Amino acid sequence: MSEVIQKETMLSFIDGEINSNADSVAIRAINVRGKEALENTPFPTRKDEEWRFIDLNTIKKNSFTAVSEANAVDVGDISNHYLPEALNTRLVFVNGIYNEELSSISDLPNHVIVGNMSEYGDHDAVKEHLGTITNYEDDAFAPFNDAAFEDAAFIYLPEETSVEAPIHILNVFTDADKAFYATPRLLFVGEMYSKATIIEEHIGLANNLYLNVPVTEFRLFAGAHVHHARIQRDSKSAAHVSRPIAMIDRNAEYHSYTICLGAKLFRNDPRVIQNAAEVDFTVDGLVLIDGDQIADTHSIMDHRFPHGKSHQLHKVVVNDNAHSIFNGKIFVAKDAQKIDSFQENRNLLLSENGKVNTKPQLEIFADDVLCSHGATIGHLNDEEVFYLHSRGLTEQKSRELLVYAFALESVESMEVESVEKLLLEEVIKYTTRD
Amino acid sequence: MSEEVKALESMIGEEYKYGFTTDVEYEEFPKGISEEIVRELSKRKNEPEWMTDFRVKAYHAWKEMEEPNWFNATYTKPDYENMLYYSAPKKKPQLDSMDDVDPNIRETYEKLGIPLEEQKMLAGVAVDAVFDSVSVFTSFKEKLAEAGVIFCSMSEAIQDHPELIKKYMASVVPVRDNYFSALNSAVFSDGSFCYIPKNTKCPMELSTYFRINNMNSGQFERTLIVAEEGSSVSYLEGCTAPMYDENQLHAAVVELVALDNADIKYSTIQNWYSGDENGKGGIYNFVTKRGICKGKNSKISWTQLETGSAVTLKYPSVILQGDNSIGEFYSVAVTTKMQQADTGTKMIHLGKNTKSTIISKGISAGRSQNSYRGEVKIGKKAHGSKNYSVCDSMLIGQECGAHTFPYISSENPSSSVEHEATTSRVGEEQIFYLMQRGISEQDAISMIINGFVKDVLKELPLEFAVEANKLLDVKLEGSVG
Repeated sequence: MSEVIQKETMLSFIDGEINSNADSVAIRAINVRGKEALENTPFPTRKDEEWRFIDLNTIKKNSFTAVSEANAVDVGDISNHYLPEALNTRLVFVNGIYNEELSSISDLPNHVIVGNMSEYGDHDAVKEHLGTITNYEDDAFAPFNDAAFEDAAFIYLPEETSVEAPIHILNVFTDADKAFYATPRLLFVGEMYSKATIIEEHIGLANNLYLNVPVTEFRLFAGAHVHHARIQRDSKSAAHVSRPIAMIDRNAEYHSYTICLGAKLFRNDPRVIQNAAEVDFTVDGLVLIDGDQIADTHSIMDHRFPHGKSHQLHKVVVNDNAHSIFNGKIFVAKDAQKIDSFQENRNLLLSENGKVNTKPQLEIFADDVLCSHGATIGHLNDEEVFYLHSRGLTEQKSRELLVYAFALESVESMEVESVEKLLLEEVIKYTTRD
Repeated sequence: MSEEVKALESMIGEEYKYGFTTDVEYEEFPKGISEEIVRELSKRKNEPEWMTDFRVKAYHAWKEMEEPNWFNATYTKPDYENMLYYSAPKKKPQLDSMDDVDPNIRETYEKLGIPLEEQKMLAGVAVDAVFDSVSVFTSFKEKLAEAGVIFCSMSEAIQDHPELIKKYMASVVPVRDNYFSALNSAVFSDGSFCYIPKNTKCPMELSTYFRINNMNSGQFERTLIVAEEGSSVSYLEGCTAPMYDENQLHAAVVELVALDNADIKYSTIQNWYSGDENGKGGIYNFVTKRGICKGKNSKISWTQLETGSAVTLKYPSVILQGDNSIGEFYSVAVTTKMQQADTGTKMIHLGKNTKSTIISKGISAGRSQNSYRGEVKIGKKAHGSKNYSVCDSMLIGQECGAHTFPYISSENPSSSVEHEATTSRVGEEQIFYLMQRGISEQDAISMIINGFVKDVLKELPLEFAVEANKLLDVKLEGSVG
């Protein structure tokens, strides 16, 4: 008696067929590719090293339909989420679908494109770069986005152009009768010596369950500079699995900052691939979780050429029953000499039932490098609490202030004032407990 | 310095110093593994029934298990059916003095530099020399017996102290713990047993020399050290092996038990044959080493210098069960040629106020791969526990690799874990600085490397520390500069 065990795929949790009706040939090609990969890729289990510690029940115990089947409510007024710095450089996607009315893109230099990809399907940059670097091995999620996305944010910067105002990619998710899936996508192509700041936001407007699987692709050519902030404030019932990847050329700088506040289940696999010598990149993260939240970051900093500089600071605060997981890989290929890479993971565990897993990982094949990592799991320093307490703050307030200070460092690298302000409010909201 | 260098230079060219075999007649035993073989092995060793049952059970457990492959190493899996599971010198000599020992065996010891005859005077070290699988000679027994310390071969212990063996064997490393521990439990040949009674400080450092000598004889040593309340012991283990082309498997199990206020220090120098330049031959060193701090205020400390073996998979661990217990791990792993080492430690904090320290230094040269894999786990009830880990890697040459895989988890908000790791090379500026002061390049590099590993080597007992320094220099000779 041999029992054939049917392995689960992503499709096991999807209700109905995945149908995308993109007009663009380039997008359709990716859709087809994604569908094929989906059927052949098993859904991860705890036996997979990369998924060992994470509880995927938020996805596995549910079933998700397309937005069109979910009877989603109208988006309404979301102007409170607009950034004053980016009033005319904003794209809005509601449940993964482009909303032209709420978007505003009048404030751009010549030849710069910020828009819905389905309108630019024939653009050379789309044809050349869409889906070319998202090679997540044995992955069930990137192909899911590939298969299902129709609309996508497309940003194109010609040579030597810089966009002063931050470009705001606002993804909002509304309440709905059924749990639905959304597949936001972003393709950024920066030609030589271009420069931009991208604020990518994910906001859940209600407290409903949905599955958000975004893919972002950043292709930076020589000398391009990008500041990429990702703020995840999904609904606290939602699952968010994202695949942000960047490939950067000589003298390019890519600095990314991921802030995780929302979602019940958050999994983020940021990757930066060094495609030529002399680059500088950052893969920072701040995770503030409580309740039953799970946040898992698996990053890869892939140094393939000499003279790279990279930095990662991943800060985590865990309260209540929350569970944080971090695995940061630093790869240095055989001939990638003179790499200077630093990784730091700081975890603050505040509750009896919280849990932290961390695995900083170095894999070095070149000898003339300077790579280091540090990881700590700790609690608030009693002496520091006492110091503040002795100056008249209540113990509770002292602790809140110290957690606030811990998170501050990551917030300050945002560069956009209104985003910093917004995040500080979020941090205060998180630290203040009754 | 210069004299050391001269000594070094004389060693260069001697590819593997201890690569010779001794011609001793062996009592042959059929190759392969089966329940019959396991029973036969047990019978030949004249073991009681409970031991035979233990082995047979372990054999069946092993049969059901799958050989693991999660290591950061690639190698041809050992052919378990083509291995000899028992080999022993024909007669077990009952001797009172060195003169009665088989001259061939004595010669082997002399080549190895074991100062058996001079030991009493020299170091005060009792050597239980394991020649292949059966203990041939045990000295200092009387002195130890006076203190009440039991130090004997595992075979003897099974005969003479069955109650202790029954109580503690497989209590730290269960039979089913992993594939290799199950195999070892089924076919272990011999090993050492050490029992320190209450409130006793072991009067001398205990050491055992292992030596793999019979072609195709995988060695399955089993060591068990039990330190009763308030006792302390320091145990040294050093290994060399002859040069052979065929891979030889060494799957030992070492178990340490420390009760209240006890203290165990376990030091290893491992220099088995590592294979040639092209990775041909060499020993597979798949060892399960684990200690448990069972009692309050107990302490277990592992120190290791790993320089040999083609493939090393070894994670000496400490389970910190007793409150206020302490676990330590000091390691230097050197890989050259085509060697692969995947080694590290596990510190499992269960008791309150437990502390652990991990200092790991990896040096990779040639075309070797050196990985640190460690786990630090703070359990829910391990209030006020602390861990501090440092794992530094040094790369020499452009063909090698260094990897770090530390798994860290905490479920207790009053505990703290700190981990840091660096990877770098011998700095040109450092070399320049030393050379500027009149030190030759080779000496400068040697000094820098000695400085790099100093934190670990200083933990070794004196006799070993000297040997360790020399070994390092010989190993890395020619790879730097």
